[in-house]
Amino acid sequence: MSVNHCGDFKQTYKDDMRVLQTRFIRFWVYGFVVFLYVFPLIASTYVVSLTNMIGIAVIGALGINIVTGFTGQISLGQGAFLGVGAFSCAFFMNEWGIPFWLAMPMAGLVTAAVGMIFGIPSLRLKGLYLAIATLAAQFILEYLFLHLEGITGGSNGVMFPSPQVGEFVFDTDQSIYYVIITVAVLTTIYTTNLFRSKDGRAFVAVRDHYLSAEIMGIHLFKYRLLSFAISSFIVGIAGSLWGAYTQYITPEHFTIAESINYLAMIIIGGMGSVLGSIYGAIFMTLVPNLLSYGTSVLANVWAGAGDLIMSLKEGIFGLIVVLFLIFEPDGLAHRWKLIKAYWKLYPFSY
Amino acid sequence: MKRWIRALSVAAAVGFAASATAADTIVIGHIADLTGPTSAVGKPYADGVQAYADWLNSHGGVNGKKVKLLRSDYAYKIPEALNLYKKFKTVDRVLAIQGWGTGDTEALTKMVGKDKIPYFSASYSAHLTDPKKAPYNFFIAADYSTQLRAGLKYLKDNWNESRKPKIAFIYPDHPYGKAPIPAGKKYAEELGFEIVGEENVGLRAIEATTQLLNLKKNEPDFAWIGGTTPSAAVILKDAKKLGLKTKFLINIWGNDENLFKLAGDAANGALGLQAAAVYGDDVPGMKTIVEVTKGEHQMTHFIRGWVSMMVMAEGLKRADAAGDLTGPGLKKALETLKDFDTGGLTAPITYTADDHRPNLSAKIYEYQGGKMVYKATVELPRRADWLGF
Repeated sequence: MSVNHCGDFKQTYKDDMRVLQTRFIRFWVYGFVVFLYVFPLIASTYVVSLTNMIGIAVIGALGINIVTGFTGQISLGQGAFLGVGAFSCAFFMNEWGIPFWLAMPMAGLVTAAVGMIFGIPSLRLKGLYLAIATLAAQFILEYLFLHLEGITGGSNGVMFPSPQVGEFVFDTDQSIYYVIITVAVLTTIYTTNLFRSKDGRAFVAVRDHYLSAEIMGIHLFKYRLLSFAISSFIVGIAGSLWGAYTQYITPEHFTIAESINYLAMIIIGGMGSVLGSIYGAIFMTLVPNLLSYGTSVLANVWAGAGDLIMSLKEGIFGLIVVLFLIFEPDGLAHRWKLIKAYWKLYPFSY
Repeated sequence: MKRWIRALSVAAAVGFAASATAADTIVIGHIADLTGPTSAVGKPYADGVQAYADWLNSHGGVNGKKVKLLRSDYAYKIPEALNLYKKFKTVDRVLAIQGWGTGDTEALTKMVGKDKIPYFSASYSAHLTDPKKAPYNFFIAADYSTQLRAGLKYLKDNWNESRKPKIAFIYPDHPYGKAPIPAGKKYAEELGFEIVGEENVGLRAIEATTQLLNLKKNEPDFAWIGGTTPSAAVILKDAKKLGLKTKFLINIWGNDENLFKLAGDAANGALGLQAAAVYGDDVPGMKTIVEVTKGEHQMTHFIRGWVSMMVMAEGLKRADAAGDLTGPGLKKALETLKDFDTGGLTAPITYTADDHRPNLSAKIYEYQGGKMVYKATVELPRRADWLGF
């Protein structure tokens, strides 16, 4: 049982295409998934609530990584797309009485449709130009959240009913955890497999050299749009889960700051990497919390300087991100690979 | 991942051990914006909350029990507020929470209702006053809609000409700015105003000439300014530049001591709605504040923070006296408050089981030569159709 094959011994294509290459990896990944499901039984409610936030962030980060990391289309509309998912899911549940389990994929479809509309400029635009077009999407949607009062409740926001199975209501941190983590696991599996499929490879081709991709016969417009659709669908699901978690949604959450937060997640975690999305989501959710915790402990000890230390928090967070970009521009996923390689080759580094 | 979880669990456990305090301590969570976009007003408010808690502890506490206020910064981010709330609930096991902004308070409304944790906010959204929808939410000022109505009433009462007064509304296209507008328009019509304009000026606007030129054509006698102090100052300055004759009425978060600094002379003559006294006002409750702050001028937001904690403390005292020092006990105790006197710092506070409007009263100040001059207090009837609207 080895950590990784030391060389290429594959004899069939099937072997070559395996996601989990060795028994060792399989053991730990399955073990981890099992661990995820017993986790809320052993962890405190607060830790579970943090994990819920991470779970939602993982799904959202996977979504934006598909369009930005894998297809190379910068999207600054993530925050608004989350809102589209959350508000449409709430609308389906409140107004049409559709259960959450059906409303969530429907909200995904609505978000996919909205994402595609704003993805249309992607045929002609790329890079910074597309970033501006998606930024426009952000502002247009924010405006709509505030003014479509029948759907979003305007400035008051709307109640988000908790998911239900029969009499059982998923309204505690522990119960909603299972919903979030299941969707997160499924999304991870889906995204991993997406990039082993024809469509996923086309996305990567479009990202790496769109001209070559077109010459190879990849329909640029179709795949760019498809990438927006898949990405927005997943983001819509993340938005619905955010609603289910907070039980009340207001337009104030789905702002440009949220878009940037998600973009930062995939940059720190690793663009174009499934694991990167997960690491990024964990990092961006936990570090501010650890900083808050650290600063409040310090502030208690050192009362006079309490506020000063608290104000430092945002600065320290910014500094960590900047240092990351300087020393680890390829993200946490890349660093993880380097660490693995180091131990595999140890003590011979070449 | 696992290591993170272990580290976190340890951290949480340590946090729990640190906060597991003796039975004679009442733990109150405090979600404040000390560093975020609203920190200019959030910090003085939070200081007010803290100052009252400290004063209370040094003057016998809640029937001898000390209040432990867990002041935490959330930088006006909803996910952080949510995190803090979960921490307060599960790790610190707080009895009640002092909160801050609109978005986060609303996001937590359903949870505090379910978890039975009384929640005082500085968001005065009208729909938080309806116990059917927000059973555990409280605040100490008249809600935004009521304040706007009170302002309109004041303008109408002081209107001497025979024609209908013309009014315009200027507000940011933002959840907080938009919230009271429907109520304001409806009441303006009821009072016999003519609504002649409606313009949007963003919270971060640096000029408002386009919007004001639009208004100038209609010559409104009055204009309501929603938003925060910086944007209100921009409007006042540009209005002066363009020579508007309009009298401005500014909402609670749009006027404070900083208005002079930001708008200078242009602030002269503007009316500001307030829910609390201004530092140094001659009311009985001000004595303690002056004493605690050693005569150092505090913003009006400080005073509201102070009163917010004062009212919560009164509820705690009553709940303790009733032997039910729990979330539901505090809620019940607060709902027995009837014309509770805050020493004149705010209008008397009343909560009932089916109406959480503390009062329907607003103070009107006029900005004159660098001073906020008290003009009047407007009292409105407790109309049932205004609850939650």
